[in-house]
Amino acid sequence: MIYWGGNPAECHPRHFTKYSLMPKGKFTPNGRKDRTMVLVDIRETASAKAADIFLQIRPGKDFEALTALRSIVKGKRVDESAVAETGLTMEQLNDLVTRMKKAKFGVIFFGMGLSMTRGKHLNSAAAMTLAAELNAFTKFVAMPMRGHGNVTGADVVVRYHTGYPFGVNLSRGYPRFNPGEFSTVDVLVRGDNDATIIIGADPGATMPQPAIDHLARTNTIVLDPKVTHTSRLSKVHITTAATGISAPGTAYRMDEIPMTLRPPLKSPYPTDEEVLRRISEAVARKAAWYPTPEALMATA
Amino acid sequence: MSLPRLLLMPIRTSKQGQQVNIGKDHDDYLTMTTTLTVHPDDLKERNIPNGARVIVRTDHGEAEFVCTEGKVPRGMAFVPYGPPTCKLMGGDTDGTGMPTSKGWEFDMEEVRNAE
Repeated sequence: MIYWGGNPAECHPRHFTKYSLMPKGKFTPNGRKDRTMVLVDIRETASAKAADIFLQIRPGKDFEALTALRSIVKGKRVDESAVAETGLTMEQLNDLVTRMKKAKFGVIFFGMGLSMTRGKHLNSAAAMTLAAELNAFTKFVAMPMRGHGNVTGADVVVRYHTGYPFGVNLSRGYPRFNPGEFSTVDVLVRGDNDATIIIGADPGATMPQPAIDHLARTNTIVLDPKVTHTSRLSKVHITTAATGISAPGTAYRMDEIPMTLRPPLKSPYPTDEEVLRRISEAVARKAAWYPTPEALMATA
Repeated sequence: MSLPRLLLMPIRTSKQGQQVNIGKDHDDYLTMTTTLTVHPDDLKERNIPNGARVIVRTDHGEAEFVCTEGKVPRGMAFVPYGPPTCKLMGGDTDGTGMPTSKGWEFDMEEVRNAE
């Protein structure tokens, strides 16, 4: 089990105990004792305490290290000086490859330390390619450590509606996917849109400032149980019930297993779903901004 | 000789994640998102005392933090994500949809006689 650029002890506190490292299973009757955990990170985080092996990599050298691992897996020659630049040694990489090949079922969990640093999607692709290539020797998978809340759920639902997980443009009536063009940060930073609905997220505390400035300049509507940085800059903040606490719903685990949420409390506020349904119904009652086929025919 | 720039590494912490449910409208959140953890030698090199208020400047903006010594690698500074780190990030996603949120080079200067 390899965690790369992630710190589950802080960011996903139940990952070790409920899901990945500790649970006993049919092929792991002794739980933790049947597993080897390797942590690759730029610093010794709280997760390092749970690791059998901690590999401290230099910042921005993930792609190089992953490519070196892929080469070693395939028995290709690797330049030791290139490996040294990653902050790791040939011995460490050789040892890791031996362990990965010997594993009965291996997994690479990769976090924001891999995907939001220099190299970005190329780093993630390298991790997934490494996992794919290891399947020539044993069973191996790679899985992203998605953010808090229900980011995985958003990916899954958008994917089964449109075929794509994010960065989807529906303005032509059919889905188009182009990260860098239709993805949220890019649309906001370019100033393409003049209205934004934000549901259960706080980009005002996480996105780059140019994107936040555009949210503040334009019509931003926030649905959130709490006052947030984004709700403060929005034109409209609709307080909603908290999903899982006072509103029912479905959350997805990081392995995309849906979990039904049963609220223990009642809320005086509407649910996100109810607010969106009412907005959708109000919009449907308005006349279309584009000429309808009937209007075009009447003109003709 | 000018000192090499440090690398900014915004991070997530358990306490910060809890604010999603608690709410972020209080001093604890402000404190955690403005506390920059730096290696003691990096502070010493820049003549900045532990606990000092500093202005951090990247190529994209600047924000004020309180720096504190910690067990982190040299040349890097760690701070939980929050409004101050947003000011230091560029908006370019390199065509990926993902902003670069880690690894920004920055300079650090102590805030003196600000009161």
